[in-house]
Amino acid sequence: MESIKMFTTRRGFLLTTAGSAVAITLSACSGTQSGGGSSAEGLQNTSGAMTSFKAGDPFMATQALNVSMLFSDAPTYPNKSDWLLWSEITKRTNITINTTLVPASDYGQKRSLLIGAGSAPTIIAKTYPGSETAYVSSGAILAVSDYLDLMPNLSEKISKWSLSSNIDSLRQADGKFYLLPGVHQDPWQDYTIAIRTDVLAQLGLKSPTSWAEFRTFLEKIKASHPASYPFSDRFNVTYPGGNVLGIASVGYGTKAGWAYSNFTWDPSKKTFVSTPKMDEYKALVEYFRGLVGDGLMDPESFTQTDDAAIQKFVTGKSFAISTNAQTVANDYTKGLTTNFPTATVDKMQFPSGPAGALLDPITKLENGLMINASIVKSPNFVATMQFIDWLWYSDDGQEFTKWGVKGTTFTKDASGKRMLDPGITFISMNPGAPKHLQKDFGFSGGNFAYGGTTELLQSTFSPAEIAFQKSIADYKLIDLAPPAPLNEAELEQATLMATALNDAVSQGTVQFILGRRAMSDWSQFMSELDAKGATKYVDLVNGARARYLKEHP
Amino acid sequence: MVTIDTAASKRRPRPHAHTRGYKVFRVVNVTVLILVMITMLYPFLMIVAQSFSSDTAIRSGHVSIFPVGFNLTTYRLVMGDATFWTDYRNTVVYTAVATLIAIVLTTCYAYVISKKHLRGRGVMIGIAVFTMFFNGGLIPNYILITSIGFRNTIWAIVLPNAISVFNLLVMKSFFENLPLELMEAAQIDGLNTYGILWYIVLPLSKAVLATMVLFYAVSFWNSWFSAFLYMDKSELFPVTVYLRNLIAGASSASSSGAGATDVAQVSANIQSVTMVLTVLPILCIYPFVQRYFVSGVMLGSVKG
Repeated sequence: MESIKMFTTRRGFLLTTAGSAVAITLSACSGTQSGGGSSAEGLQNTSGAMTSFKAGDPFMATQALNVSMLFSDAPTYPNKSDWLLWSEITKRTNITINTTLVPASDYGQKRSLLIGAGSAPTIIAKTYPGSETAYVSSGAILAVSDYLDLMPNLSEKISKWSLSSNIDSLRQADGKFYLLPGVHQDPWQDYTIAIRTDVLAQLGLKSPTSWAEFRTFLEKIKASHPASYPFSDRFNVTYPGGNVLGIASVGYGTKAGWAYSNFTWDPSKKTFVSTPKMDEYKALVEYFRGLVGDGLMDPESFTQTDDAAIQKFVTGKSFAISTNAQTVANDYTKGLTTNFPTATVDKMQFPSGPAGALLDPITKLENGLMINASIVKSPNFVATMQFIDWLWYSDDGQEFTKWGVKGTTFTKDASGKRMLDPGITFISMNPGAPKHLQKDFGFSGGNFAYGGTTELLQSTFSPAEIAFQKSIADYKLIDLAPPAPLNEAELEQATLMATALNDAVSQGTVQFILGRRAMSDWSQFMSELDAKGATKYVDLVNGARARYLKEHP
Repeated sequence: MVTIDTAASKRRPRPHAHTRGYKVFRVVNVTVLILVMITMLYPFLMIVAQSFSSDTAIRSGHVSIFPVGFNLTTYRLVMGDATFWTDYRNTVVYTAVATLIAIVLTTCYAYVISKKHLRGRGVMIGIAVFTMFFNGGLIPNYILITSIGFRNTIWAIVLPNAISVFNLLVMKSFFENLPLELMEAAQIDGLNTYGILWYIVLPLSKAVLATMVLFYAVSFWNSWFSAFLYMDKSELFPVTVYLRNLIAGASSASSSGAGATDVAQVSANIQSVTMVLTVLPILCIYPFVQRYFVSGVMLGSVKG
């Protein structure tokens, strides 16, 4: 998502283009495709490093060190230099983090600028998988795959949690990967549809669990509220119907909305196919076309702002809307109960589709960090890698960045259940307490606290959210696409095609859903996409896949 | 000129004042202008109303131009945020220093290139105009600012944007229209170039100077991009960056599947309060000086 967002402003586009231009120029000058050099480079730079550092070990640098970090400053809990987080990191590891603060609103732009200018800090946090590709050819980013031996905690999690195929999806043309992703023990799902559970009870219906049942639910509501559009949706930023098409595409066995990609891996054929040409994609479009055509879904769902959709929901004009865990509490429940004191709203179970009850295992990877390649020349290189491994990937480090300091910000009973200190509030815990875990202490912040064991992930969830996660625990996982990294020339060609192709797909999809084009036009639509390079694009990816297999058998 | 016009209009009624066509024109004109005014005013009034309303009322869609569920809690909260005031102070300092530097440099440059006898004048104008169409690019600029040690200093904000070529050309045009005889007389009376500028030209240029101060001040008050590029510490940000982070950061995070820990839920109420507080100083000053905006653009545009 972040890479798409990056292009939503002219400045963002210019910055990214400029960043890419510099990256390409640097790469052309160096004439290599290095990503931090060979695996041996830098390993002798052990100043401050622990001689023996294994998974589960605490990390303490043997001498005081400083590490610079690009830090995404969130508006709701702006960074404070006196956070317990900072002092405790130094106390536990003998390392002080020097931050370069960037407002979260424009983090991607500044990151491009700093990397392009060669001024990036050592740790570049908050980077989503895929965003690193633009910087790889410049040699400015470290090929972290060369140094996994220095990261025992990450290595252990990759093997224990069967993350190899997820990690493979990060590999670039040289077979290496350049991003240290946040890793989850299990796949999880946040986004789904929120529904009015009080209306559900009134109509004597069970909560829908599939897209077919969801349609039945909407039909029943339409029958009792004929003047309404029962489903009026939001989340249209960067893609019309971004969320609803994205989550529906999982159950339909394709990719759409926010999850859209011009190519999809077909495990039966062992090849990539053009996504919009899949029968499954057409079926998905027909499903939503049916909802709109029968008056079950608001045609404005693909264009309206979030606020407009929220207002329709909380004023009782609609009964279903896209959601994540936070928006249920913050956007819907408050407003709805003001207008209708007995109204209730909850997340619907993640709907299954014609392809089954499926989840995308890509959710096991979270945003992570890149490392400035110049760090290999630093005498503290090995210590820095050990530090990163401990803070971001060890169980202790993950618990520390999420919950804080045991005995100070939280306590843990014999069963392992954590309790926040009564004087500290966070999410729905200890409402009204004078201090806030994020704002006053810096813990549970987006730069550090993500990924980890399922137990840790769910430790701050509400009971309703835990129930939602349990309801999808037995879902099957779709096959991950194997690596098919494009080389520089192919990447450039693909980028040129992608802009026109993505626009044509999103516009065409919405036109068919809204009924502005007849389904008999579908083959004409496919021809239009071919003219924009739909088939050529997939051929490019399949070619890259074949080359990758040949070079990395 | 104004006195003569007024006297003349008293003596001689306007030829079209009572015709049917003129009356229709007036009605249409006033109606259209009222509609334009409402279009401009409505969003602003809505923001003000939201800033005094409860978050629940805003989410429920009950707030239009009057506050619903009146509350001042958010004002107290935002005004209690030390970062907001630090950034606010930064904005005031950056705006004041940048405007002062900009006005001095622009005036000097414009005065020099307004002298038609100056050798190399064309080149100097050309250099200025060239920068309207071409610049070094973001990354080279960033490297330049960093290498001369301006990063994380006020100079990174005030110096690169010190001369606006548009303002420069307006001033140049104004200076060119001043009577040459005045300067010649001053020269005969013994004033040198600087004396003429200080004692003769500047006192005659109060209108254009006021306009330029306004142009520069408003532009620096609203600017955020330079600070975003060259500042790495929140205590150095202007309030526009604070505001942008609050609004843009919040909406993008909640709309694009960002990790649960980073979903910034900033209420519409807080956004409105911050906007009102930020726009307040400009709003207080603007009605008194806005006429300069109109006259300023016209300055120097007519010769003779």
